Amino acid sequence: MQAISQGDEFALAALYDRYRLILFGLILRILHNRHEAEDVLQEAFLQVWRRANDFDPARGRAFTWLVTIARSRALDRLRLLGSRSRFVVPVEEHQAPEKALDTGQELQKSEEGELVRRALKELPEEQRRALLLAYFEGLTQTEIAERLGDPLGTVKTRMRSGLMKLRELLRDRSRGVA
Amino acid sequence: MEHSEYQELLALHAVDALDGREAQAMSAHLENCNSCRDELAGLREAAALLAYAADPAVPGEAVRQNLMREIRRPVGASPAPAANVIPLRPASSSTWSNMLRLAAALAFVALILGLFLLWRRDTAARREINELARVLDQQQHELQIERDNLAQQREALAMMNSSDARKMSLAGTATAQAARATFVYDEKSRHAMLIVDGLPETPADKAYEVWFIPKGQSPIPGRMFSVSGDGRALISDKFPLEAGPAAVVAITLEPKNGSASPTGPIYLASSAS
Repeated sequence: MQAISQGDEFALAALYDRYRLILFGLILRILHNRHEAEDVLQEAFLQVWRRANDFDPARGRAFTWLVTIARSRALDRLRLLGSRSRFVVPVEEHQAPEKALDTGQELQKSEEGELVRRALKELPEEQRRALLLAYFEGLTQTEIAERLGDPLGTVKTRMRSGLMKLRELLRDRSRGVA
Repeated sequence: MEHSEYQELLALHAVDALDGREAQAMSAHLENCNSCRDELAGLREAAALLAYAADPAVPGEAVRQNLMREIRRPVGASPAPAANVIPLRPASSSTWSNMLRLAAALAFVALILGLFLLWRRDTAARREINELARVLDQQQHELQIERDNLAQQREALAMMNSSDARKMSLAGTATAQAARATFVYDEKSRHAMLIVDGLPETPADKAYEVWFIPKGQSPIPGRMFSVSGDGRALISDKFPLEAGPAAVVAITLEPKNGSASPTGPIYLASSAS
């Protein structure tokens, strides 16, 4: 990231090659439109190029920084398109991501990705569902409660517990337990 | 709110799920609370892992090329040089010195004139270079579009020949009798291509919209597209899983920004299976 902030084009190209699959998958999942998603992916990396100085390794991993930029750009585009209701996709469709993965031969399955997908599968259905609605559709807790027909307090608790479990996973991994 | 209440809400803030007022209060609290800031950083790391829940996908080659071209684009052009004019002093009484001064003035004027001519030539050359660069850029852009089109056509061809492909013919309705289209999609990846011919040119304030109509359910919107004078288009889309294999594919004319459900006339439709 330091090389990118000093204007190293090759460093940016390498970063793009390394993260394009996961970031494009994320943006596509939010927008459900290849054309828009490719545009947002390019915008996100342009932002990385121009704002590489803002990245502070003490505050988190580069992966987190990139994912945050890509997600926030994609949600901005989703709101701009005013298409939140147009592209509502039932959460059920996304319960078996590994099935879809098998079809793409070019797609590499990263170790971390596998670990997280497994952990997500282990989360109770309601926790996962609420977290994914917030993450991929940009819904707030109130909107999620309305969508699922659950009390707001319940939704809050589920989201909190779900994310705590994911954090545990990350901790275990960094300790080499997982 | 108490510190402990904020702590409870940090996880929701990490996925931006707090409602407006709570989110504002949280931001204000975070400015003064180191422990909550640290906790939030950890939760954001965890939230970022949710990105793995999306299937990785391969973006088109053009994205990388456009990105690299964009970062190489020079920032602004240098301003044109301004001419320096030095005022001549009034003549003195001495004839010799007057003549010398006149000679010096003439030489100076000749020098300025020479510089001016050089500068003009330089400016013209620079303008020409800029124009050539612009034309080159334009041609590269057109070439890229051609390449993308070609790649898309190859993709359509490959898909039509694939054993997993399902093919549907769309016939023009009374609104567009000359129109016809082929819709082909891969049952595994749900990647779909629509090849359209004979559609009327899209009016400036409208766009065509693709619909997937599951049996007995409301239509699901697909891609928007427009058609120029030749009446042709090649569109890639995703066949929605929830549409089911028996869905009808139809095309309507809608306002430019699209509609959540069809409002305009149907131009093309597949027959129900």
